[in-house]
Amino acid sequence: MTDLSDVSSRGVRDDKWIPTSCALCYGSCSILAHRVDDVVVKIEGNPDSAIGKGRLCGKGVSGIMTHYDPNRLTVPLRRTNPKKGLDEDPRWEEIGWEEALDEIAAQLRRIREDDPRKLIVQRTTTVTASRVPMLTFTAAFGTPNLSMAGGGLHCGNGAHLLSGLMHASWSIVPDFEHCNYAIYFGASKGHGAGHASGSNMKLAADARARGMKMVVVDPMCNFAAAKATEWVPLRVGTDGALALAMCHVMVRELGVYDAPYLQAKTNAPYLIGPDKRYVRDAATGKPTVWDLKAGAARPFGDVDAADMALDGEYDVGGVCARPAFALLREHLAKHTPEWGEKITTVPAANIRRLAREFVQEARIGSTIVVDGVTLPYRPVAAIAFRGSQGHMNSVYNFFAIDLLNQLVGAADVVGACLGFNPASNGYPGTGRLAYMPYPDDDGLMIAGTWMGYHKPYPVAEPRLPQKPGLQDFFVMGLNSPYLDSDDREALWDKFELPYRPEAMLNFGANLLMSIGNRESVARGLAEYKFMVSIDLFETETTRFADIVLPDCGHLQTLDSRSNYPFIFSLPGGMGEWCWPIRQPVLPPEGQQRRFQDVLLELSDRLGIRADMNAAYNAAMNLEGPYRLQGDHRYSYEEICDAELKCNFGPERGLEWFKEHGVLKWPKKPEEVYWRPFADVRVPIYWEFLVPVFEKMDAIGAPRGIKLPPEYYEPLPDFLPCLSHCCQKPGFDFYAFYYRDVLHTNSFTLENPWLDEAAQLDPFSYTIAINATTGRKNGLTDGARIWVENEKGRKVAGRVHLTEAIHPEGLGVAACAGHWGDGMPIAKGKGVFFNELLELDWDHSSPINLNLDLCAKVRVTLAEENAK
Amino acid sequence: MRWGMVIDLKRCIACYGCQLSCKAENGTPPGVFFARLLKHEEGQFPTVRQLFLPVLCNHCEEPPCVEVCPTGASFKTEDGIVDIDPDMCVGCRSCMMACPYGNRYFNDKPQHYFPDGPTPYEERRTARHQTDVVMKCNFCRDRLAVGKEPACVANCPAVARYFGDLDDPNSEVSRLIKDRGGFPLHPELGTKPSVYYLPA
Amino acid sequence: MTHASVKYERMLSDLRMDLRPQREWGEGRGLFLVIGHFVVGIAAGAWLFALIFDRPAALVAAFALAALGGLAHLGFLGKPDRFWRMSMRARTSWISRGFIGLSLFLAGAALYLAPQYLPGTPWGSESLLADAGYAMALVGMVVLMGYMGFVYTSAKAIPFWNSPLHPALYVAYALRGGVAALFVTALADGGAGELPAVLLPLWGGITVLVALFFMLEIHGALTSGNEAARRSVHDLLAGRVAVYFYGGTLVLGLFVPAYLMYTGLTGPLSAGAMALLGVSSAIGDFFMKYATIRAGVRLPVWTHLTPQRR
Repeated sequence: MTDLSDVSSRGVRDDKWIPTSCALCYGSCSILAHRVDDVVVKIEGNPDSAIGKGRLCGKGVSGIMTHYDPNRLTVPLRRTNPKKGLDEDPRWEEIGWEEALDEIAAQLRRIREDDPRKLIVQRTTTVTASRVPMLTFTAAFGTPNLSMAGGGLHCGNGAHLLSGLMHASWSIVPDFEHCNYAIYFGASKGHGAGHASGSNMKLAADARARGMKMVVVDPMCNFAAAKATEWVPLRVGTDGALALAMCHVMVRELGVYDAPYLQAKTNAPYLIGPDKRYVRDAATGKPTVWDLKAGAARPFGDVDAADMALDGEYDVGGVCARPAFALLREHLAKHTPEWGEKITTVPAANIRRLAREFVQEARIGSTIVVDGVTLPYRPVAAIAFRGSQGHMNSVYNFFAIDLLNQLVGAADVVGACLGFNPASNGYPGTGRLAYMPYPDDDGLMIAGTWMGYHKPYPVAEPRLPQKPGLQDFFVMGLNSPYLDSDDREALWDKFELPYRPEAMLNFGANLLMSIGNRESVARGLAEYKFMVSIDLFETETTRFADIVLPDCGHLQTLDSRSNYPFIFSLPGGMGEWCWPIRQPVLPPEGQQRRFQDVLLELSDRLGIRADMNAAYNAAMNLEGPYRLQGDHRYSYEEICDAELKCNFGPERGLEWFKEHGVLKWPKKPEEVYWRPFADVRVPIYWEFLVPVFEKMDAIGAPRGIKLPPEYYEPLPDFLPCLSHCCQKPGFDFYAFYYRDVLHTNSFTLENPWLDEAAQLDPFSYTIAINATTGRKNGLTDGARIWVENEKGRKVAGRVHLTEAIHPEGLGVAACAGHWGDGMPIAKGKGVFFNELLELDWDHSSPINLNLDLCAKVRVTLAEENAK
Repeated sequence: MRWGMVIDLKRCIACYGCQLSCKAENGTPPGVFFARLLKHEEGQFPTVRQLFLPVLCNHCEEPPCVEVCPTGASFKTEDGIVDIDPDMCVGCRSCMMACPYGNRYFNDKPQHYFPDGPTPYEERRTARHQTDVVMKCNFCRDRLAVGKEPACVANCPAVARYFGDLDDPNSEVSRLIKDRGGFPLHPELGTKPSVYYLPA
Repeated sequence: MTHASVKYERMLSDLRMDLRPQREWGEGRGLFLVIGHFVVGIAAGAWLFALIFDRPAALVAAFALAALGGLAHLGFLGKPDRFWRMSMRARTSWISRGFIGLSLFLAGAALYLAPQYLPGTPWGSESLLADAGYAMALVGMVVLMGYMGFVYTSAKAIPFWNSPLHPALYVAYALRGGVAALFVTALADGGAGELPAVLLPLWGGITVLVALFFMLEIHGALTSGNEAARRSVHDLLAGRVAVYFYGGTLVLGLFVPAYLMYTGLTGPLSAGAMALLGVSSAIGDFFMKYATIRAGVRLPVWTHLTPQRR
């Protein structure tokens, strides 16, 4: 079933450079694999591609050792020990594929006949191309439950929600080519990990060389901060307070903001009534603005933006109405720099200076010509990602930071904060792949393309949850901790969840390490009656499976696209659109099979091939002659071929792509800097939260679910994390983790080249503590210490005393600390930070379900130092 | 003609791409790094700086390693590359003691990364290297011979590395050194390295 | 943990350090190099004093020690079968010069000694060949005494060894070792007559010289402003290798023989005690060399001289 005709001719002298895609992280850079006589002897970047532009990070070039790891799974395994637990040996027995698939099909058939929702499908975020086959199978099977384990949830719910709502994109970056002043809040874009990480490294270096100033707000001075013009250390998790204080200075002290932008491109002029809701036009139901020329409230679409009032108080039909911006201005009154200093530890004078620099550099009102097109020019960007939003206050932290962009109009224009390619005129040859942000009835922006299970806006109607993750109740959340939390059963009871998860189909996710403390997750995992894991290695999570299927690695597999959506890892800014594929360079080892083929095979055995075909048609948007028909048994090659031909014409099928690797076409300024061309507004005032809260409260309150209303106010505030409220003596450090440039999640720890480099790095496998604080606490560099949270959960590791961290911070890199024998190189390396994270209602954001990723901890010397 | 490299510390982001692309190109055994990345901290909180320094053989114009080599195994090519002829090396390691930059390695055990034995890749690439002799970066002479830049230069994702002829005053490397105040490591030793750094 | 993995772990931990100890010379197979240098040094000194004071047994011992040193060197090499290649770069390499010196010495000493001790030797002890051997051995001896210090001085990576006093120190070690060898071989000589009385004060004089050179070298390292050299001194006097320095060098190499010399100067000293003095002095020299070699710390790549920003 696996067509490897071009690689199966073993023994024949061959020497070929094969274009394909990396999968060591979700950046999915385009690579060239050098195959000599059936052995891959080198991986290099593919210079023909816009993704990575022929250059790779350390992980990408090290893919060889992941591929050739002798610890890879090569045969299907069946558990013979019925007991599941952290200390249980699964007692694997090797079985054949027929037997494995028969058993899986029988179990899944039983579940599907009972209630298909009882199947939880889970996939790793590392291979974003897996979204299409996994989503397709999930849809065909009939379960809404597709989870990404810790992926998405950690990186996360706030970043993607806000980037989607405000920039129509999964994530944001500065327009490196034109930006003059970027302020990063807990982000490393261009300095290590993240979307388009490889491409961004060059773009950020170009910007630095050009003289772009970069201010990095972060508890730790590493990656981005190390290269910054200024490092602004702050207390962990208080980024939002700093941003609010900067907004205060801009709006209330300096009085500098981009009024025309706010009038035309945001809901700042929308009139808000005393009920915090829009004052709507009685006839059209549209939100109104105050027309300064007419002296009346009129639907927003009927008024010239320049005539819309941003301030004042107006009587509209007996109701006292104020523009949203006026409310924001008033709201910011309490967020003085002095207030900010108390929360963040950043001196008030610095906050004032940063705000002043930001508005000065924004050049409000200026334009620039790019490729013959005159465009607004705002060469500043406030960028947030994983760090600043990994907290209870995930939404407001990110919201407050993006307000900096919105206040000066630095959103998707030249030099500004950019979404990752959210507007495309499509491939010129076929017109396919065209999408553009568009407005809803209230004029607010809906993303043109998205990858989550629902778009971030418009917000779905909260309902009594039908999903164990409760995201259909918590409609502002994308990924959920409640599949695995300690209190999930109690919550499901309260919410009257009509079923319980029974089976899990896992693809490559190491859930036990990627969400929170392992005991909580293990309890949940052990409860699945049946679990299948398709994996490259016997991970800690895969050890809980009943059947394990050996997957093909990135050099053995096929994908019609290296990403979903295809723009996922395409750098922002001008340049090229680019569609790369992934193709087999080497045959499977042993009995490894591609998961895409396995899912097709399973669908045949379950008799859901027709649904599968329909789901592929939908997921790939296949049209005309390329639509998959009936229950025809297409091979995965045929499906890939159909998608490619559908998008790029009959000449550009799989064969063409196998030869060429990528297809590129140039970006236009109207696509990259789309904001002026799209008739959409973004909300600086989240009016929609008011009804969302009312509806949720109506469902939750009778069931004893108390939602804190302060999380649902339309304007952002600083709300402390649990760790900020911890008063327990001795718990002096805010522990946090960060992405290491050498590692992707828990996966690459097993790669011996990367592991070796990480062992040499002073930070990768150590616990960073401020040198002065550390010495005060009797620590010496290299000492073995225990880090313990309030609940008594603890992890051990070697301390690295450094000047490059906030005195209250405690930083741990990567998702390390494997304990299983299935990945022996990774075992015992680094520190398993997530053990310090509690998984329950109290530690999840009550609005977007983001897990609180910081913890107040106590540090003690491990016994071996006491000698 | 004198091959030289310029590493722009302003552009370098310490991604380890050089160290690992070098490993992939040369298949060096565990613990051997023809290219390596060093990290250093300067100053005190909060005015601290993290400094990154990628290092490799400096291909000195006055190479102390060649001078001390008793067999002539260490030699300098006409285009300025310092290399080792593994067939002539007796493994006395005096060159390792002479190299003030610590960029020479003795090819000792272990010879492969997984305890189970060499991977097919290592059988091809690592097994080419003679054991019990000294090994080091040679500016990827094999790649230069076919018109490619050294692996670490071609791969650097931040484009922080430049390669060219130091004898040509108009080459990119010469101009960068002149315009941006390029400096070698330990110039006081009089080794005249061919690897220059641009200030961060 | 296998031996290889222990070595690998230590290699990585060394690479993490700013001040990386050298391990190639002196650890593992590197111990053979220290032994080689040690015995060859004694051999050269012994040859010199044996000629001066006409001690035939010491001549033989010198030859044997040099041969042993040669073997030890071979044991150290990664590719011992290629040893002959070390003759190729005498123009620049002190190791090459040393190799030639040792070859000359061994060949010369053999030519010179053979007719004296091997009855069937085709040339006589007064022959041209024996004279040539005498000359060759003499030249070899001078090279052997001189080259070793320069091997270390030319190791630019190890600032502690870069002192100009190092060659002088190694010459002094050779001389001290030579005297010591005479003390020891006197025992073998049996009734070959009393050792000249001057040897004891000579030994004392050289020892004072060694101590002086050493202290100057330490002082130089401490005041050089070189962090690596300072770390070496620290490792030698209060760190990794201090136990070898105090136990081996000071106690065995200085206090014990000095006490014996003191008793020898104030009264008669038995041949056994003389031999003990020699052995003890030689062991001290070994540890002196061993400890200073092991104390070698590599020049840090980072220095305050590395300008990072302008």
